[in-house]
Amino acid sequence: MASDKAQTGGALLFNVLQQHGVEHVFGYPGGAIMPIYDALYDSDVKHFLCRHEQGASFSAVGYARATGKVGVCLATSGPGATNLITGLADALADSIPVVAITGQVPMVAMGSDAFQEIDIFGLSLACTKHSFQVRDVNELNDILQQAFAIALEGRQGPVLVDIPKDIQTALVDNPVSNLPQSQPVLVNGKSDHQLKNQPANVGTALALLNQASKPVLYVGGGVGMAGAVDELRSFISNTNIPSVATLKGLGAVEPTDEHYLGMLGMHGTKAANLAVQECDLLIAVGARFDDRVTGKLNEFAPHAKVIHFDIDQAEINKRRTVEAAILGDLKVNLPALAIPLSIDEWQEKCKKMKDDFAWQYDHPGDTIFAPALLKEISETMPKNTVVTTDVGQHQMWSAQHMLFDHPTNFLTSGSMGTMGFGLPAAIGAQISRPDDTVIAVTGDGSFMMNVQELSTIKRFQLPVKIVLIDNSKLGMVRQWQDIFFDGRLSETDLSDNPDFVMLANAFEIKAQVITDKNQVSAAIKEMLAHQGAYLLQVKIDATDNVWPLVPPNTANDKMMENR
Amino acid sequence: MQNVNTQQHTLRITAQDQPTVLERLLQVTRYRGFLVTGMTMFPCADDNALDIELTVQSDKSIEQLHHQLNKLIDVNNVTVDSNMIAQCSA
Repeated sequence: MASDKAQTGGALLFNVLQQHGVEHVFGYPGGAIMPIYDALYDSDVKHFLCRHEQGASFSAVGYARATGKVGVCLATSGPGATNLITGLADALADSIPVVAITGQVPMVAMGSDAFQEIDIFGLSLACTKHSFQVRDVNELNDILQQAFAIALEGRQGPVLVDIPKDIQTALVDNPVSNLPQSQPVLVNGKSDHQLKNQPANVGTALALLNQASKPVLYVGGGVGMAGAVDELRSFISNTNIPSVATLKGLGAVEPTDEHYLGMLGMHGTKAANLAVQECDLLIAVGARFDDRVTGKLNEFAPHAKVIHFDIDQAEINKRRTVEAAILGDLKVNLPALAIPLSIDEWQEKCKKMKDDFAWQYDHPGDTIFAPALLKEISETMPKNTVVTTDVGQHQMWSAQHMLFDHPTNFLTSGSMGTMGFGLPAAIGAQISRPDDTVIAVTGDGSFMMNVQELSTIKRFQLPVKIVLIDNSKLGMVRQWQDIFFDGRLSETDLSDNPDFVMLANAFEIKAQVITDKNQVSAAIKEMLAHQGAYLLQVKIDATDNVWPLVPPNTANDKMMENR
Repeated sequence: MQNVNTQQHTLRITAQDQPTVLERLLQVTRYRGFLVTGMTMFPCADDNALDIELTVQSDKSIEQLHHQLNKLIDVNNVTVDSNMIAQCSA
């Protein structure tokens, strides 16, 4: 409600957050943001105190990814602001809508190397979609409205708003209410590509599709970001086209679709990579030919013509020259190409490859085989469970062996590959979806990178489940050292890790460690049945590798496999 | 260092008159692999905008820089003039 009483910049901030439906924010107070925290005291917005600003930024990312809403994080000036940077970089690289609010030293002190002063605006240039520094409290409302619009418009991303302390306490001339506004802010409409303005491209694409005898659909994270999962699935059911997905595209295709071949790329399935290498038409949907997907670029899909659907014109012809580009909203554009195809022979070939190269779960001895464990968790967990991961071997095993029926149910740091992502992202996901099970799959290296967030789990009694795949190594780096660096294991041994069960217990989190295959089923059941937070430490053999592996700068059909 | 593919291009950019806009343009230009070899900037007579002329050099596709600069929120318009400057043999 608009109030006649004087409104500070800080109070205005929370009203604008409420206008945009923000109920939860993640942050950490400090000197230069104290007036905002003082205004928070009177606000209905719920604040989650994290134990490190990086945790706050990843929780905002997890919150956004699990719901499609904007994630919001707060930090003070200087080190508080710099600690947000990794989370913002992660959000930029994976196109996640986040609004970060930082306190800044008062305007009179700015530029004087004041206590806890850093030029966060300058630092933000390379790791945000856009950023603002507020110079007048009467511009704050407009800037915050723009920040939300920019975060969500076109290709989504993080926006930073740096607010000097005196702006936070200054009184605004025109107080704003906390009620939703009817007039959405349109910033520049640059990404508003209309299908009707691209008839030549649609015509070319339809002709390519009609001519193709071996087409493959290459599904990226853009499908989930566009909210176009339904349109993608109806495209697939109309065309019956074989499909593959990127790491961030997992969940967009119904995982049980008979023509779906799984993830492609460096640790992709053999069937997915062979199909893409053989195809004569590749339809990229919200995907960007990332180096982890393509392997050696000029040998990627060497026989294919390419149709590229994207919202970002800068992705067209960036790494692969395409025959037809269709810009804009996938929800509108995908149905334009959803025509029945006569590709029976190709469908059969892909299905045969899928069967011939299906995952094998034999593993000698009693030691737990992480792929089999993750598969069992995937088959046991409730519908709509959110799985987050950290980065490394456990991440690739999760992507390979767990099935997700929506992109909002698999949150992983794709482009940036940020260790320390999983635990705080799970916290954000659990807060945004309190009724769904949330499982953070992590490794013993990654877990320690934001382990302080166990305290956030304790404080808010969040029932996050943590599956810690423990090989007492930086496993992925160790694997590469063994394969590509003559087994010279430089700085990858973590055999002096803490006792993770005791560590969890110190935060009043129930925990157990398992070491033997015959403990797996009961342990998974116990974890999922437990009402509160739970840490399941899973000891595995330190020599287990992720297969297949396409070595760097190698064609995707030349993958190394388990020998 | 110029190689056989190095080209010089002139970008004509209209941007909002924000104190931060030059930093953004230069950051994106550097990150995307272009060397700035000349720059002029003056305010437009009307509507709170800046006219910026940026001369850049690279062996990378100018179309890519064009699209990346065009994505900047503060940038209104970008056009490109290109001419081959370097045909030095390797």
